[in-house]
Amino acid sequence: MIQFNDVSKTYETNVSESHALKNVNLTINDKEFVFILGASGAGKSTFLKLIMREEIPTKGDIIVDGKSLAKMPRRKVPYLRRRMGIVFQDFRLIEKMTVFDNVAFAMRVIGSPSKKIKKRVLYVLDLVGLKHKAASFPSELSGGEKQRVSLARALVNAPNIIIADEPTGNIDPEMSIEIMTLLSEINKNGTTVLVVTHEHELVQQFGGRVIVLDDGSVVSDSGNLGGAV
Amino acid sequence: MKLSGCGYLIKEGLKSIWHNRAMSIASVGVLVSCLVLTGAAMVVSYNVSAIVTKVGADNMVNVYLEDDISEVQAVIEIGPKIREIPNVSDALFVSKEEAIADYKDELGQWYDEMTGEGNPLPNAYKVTMSDLSLYDDTVQQLSQIDGIQKISDRRDIASKLTSLNNLVTVIGFWLVVVLGVVSLFIVSNTIRITMYSRRFEISIMKSVGATNTFVRIPFFIEGMTLGFIAGIITSLILFFIYEGVAAVIVNVAEYLVAIPYDTFMLPISAIFIASGMIVGALGSLISMHKYLKIEGGETLGW
Ligand SMILES: Nc1ncnc2c1ncn2[C@@H]1O[C@H](COP(=O)(O)OP(=O)(O)OP(=O)(O)O)[C@@H](O)[C@H]1O
Ligand SMILES: [Mg+2]
Repeated sequence: MIQFNDVSKTYETNVSESHALKNVNLTINDKEFVFILGASGAGKSTFLKLIMREEIPTKGDIIVDGKSLAKMPRRKVPYLRRRMGIVFQDFRLIEKMTVFDNVAFAMRVIGSPSKKIKKRVLYVLDLVGLKHKAASFPSELSGGEKQRVSLARALVNAPNIIIADEPTGNIDPEMSIEIMTLLSEINKNGTTVLVVTHEHELVQQFGGRVIVLDDGSVVSDSGNLGGAV
Repeated sequence: MKLSGCGYLIKEGLKSIWHNRAMSIASVGVLVSCLVLTGAAMVVSYNVSAIVTKVGADNMVNVYLEDDISEVQAVIEIGPKIREIPNVSDALFVSKEEAIADYKDELGQWYDEMTGEGNPLPNAYKVTMSDLSLYDDTVQQLSQIDGIQKISDRRDIASKLTSLNNLVTVIGFWLVVVLGVVSLFIVSNTIRITMYSRRFEISIMKSVGATNTFVRIPFFIEGMTLGFIAGIITSLILFFIYEGVAAVIVNVAEYLVAIPYDTFMLPISAIFIASGMIVGALGSLISMHKYLKIEGGETLGW
């Protein structure tokens, strides 16, 4: 469960400050499928960064699975992130590694035993339908395939939450549907999924809870009608 | 940390040495130069103090007599005066004939000319002291006896060597400081370059929940390995330099016998390797600390 308790985030630069999020209050329950919508600069990425503790709220607190992120010491952050899988718009695959190694990387860097790695990586590659591409390099894949590898990497450590920041932003519409279908299947298997997107059509097609941000504030929240400020 | 990840991390660290070989060679080179210079200072100082100890423990002085003093005078008058000095335990008369006879073999055909009237050497006493701590007083008392021309004082050499040794120590100290800082700078820059070249991977590592320790280990391994290689190379270089220099020095003066390298080879190589690894480890710690604190703490360009 993720709880935002009166969360505000202000970025301060030398010349100005920008209020990326303002007094956000909401709760995302386990196994929810949530779309986060909003114009550019509305604070969508900031919302995700706060959940990952990439950023710390300027005001308020976020509780993830009962733990306060504001009070969480730096050394505990890696363990928080192991329970989350992240998918970026630009895939973020390591070009010089094969598909297999890209996915295995996420397990290796948290110290998983290599025996377990092989089995698990092949399993998730199969899940995203890319087992046959295990030995390929990212440069040999289409955008949709790259994003599926990236999704496999996010899944490989069996996270409770998948966080995707515009996962379909760089790929064709048909491929987008494929990725969204995968995400919703993952969600049906019990993983919370948060997807930031610009594409209203996807939202209409896949349903789920929709949180709309505008200029840092939650302006509508389909799953939390009573609680939106 | 689980042991299972270690093999992977060590491999990554070693890979990046090869990947970055130009910088690796540069930092090993700088480290080696630093270690060779400081090692040379150490070895010189070690030898000098050994010689000083040896010379300083010598409780014998040669007392040379004036030319116009006959052998009879020397034995009858000067001998007792020398023996009267409380700290003198023994005084052995060495006539100029006996002295020149020591050089018979070396002089060869010239020997005959140098005996009798042509003998350039003075009569002398070999004086042994019972208490070395009274050395200076005793030499002073000896020099006051009439008819004594000169007292050979090995302490003189010892004190010159000691001041040389002090100089070497001071220079050595500053060499260690300056070159240590230079090495640290070079090594930490090498590691920093590796870090920047792998910033994308580091960013992914952190976003999937790798601990800072885990992120650091390959760079730590890289730094230590560079230091280790430098330590080994230094040990070899110094060995060859030492053997060469020692051979030359033995020819210069008989009492400057160099300590055989193999008697201190193991400890000194261990010191080189350890200091190389410490500098390597520190260098990587410095750059990693900076990197992870500033740029590397965030997910790149998100
Ligand atoms: N590191 C930062 N320093 C300063 N300002 C920032 C920083 N990150 C974001 N901002 C500002 O905060 C606001 C929200 O940014 P955010 O990245 O959350 O928007 P977004 O909704 O993800 O936009 P987009 O759809 O373009 O990705 C913007 O005005 C942005 O300029
Ligand atoms: Mg964004």
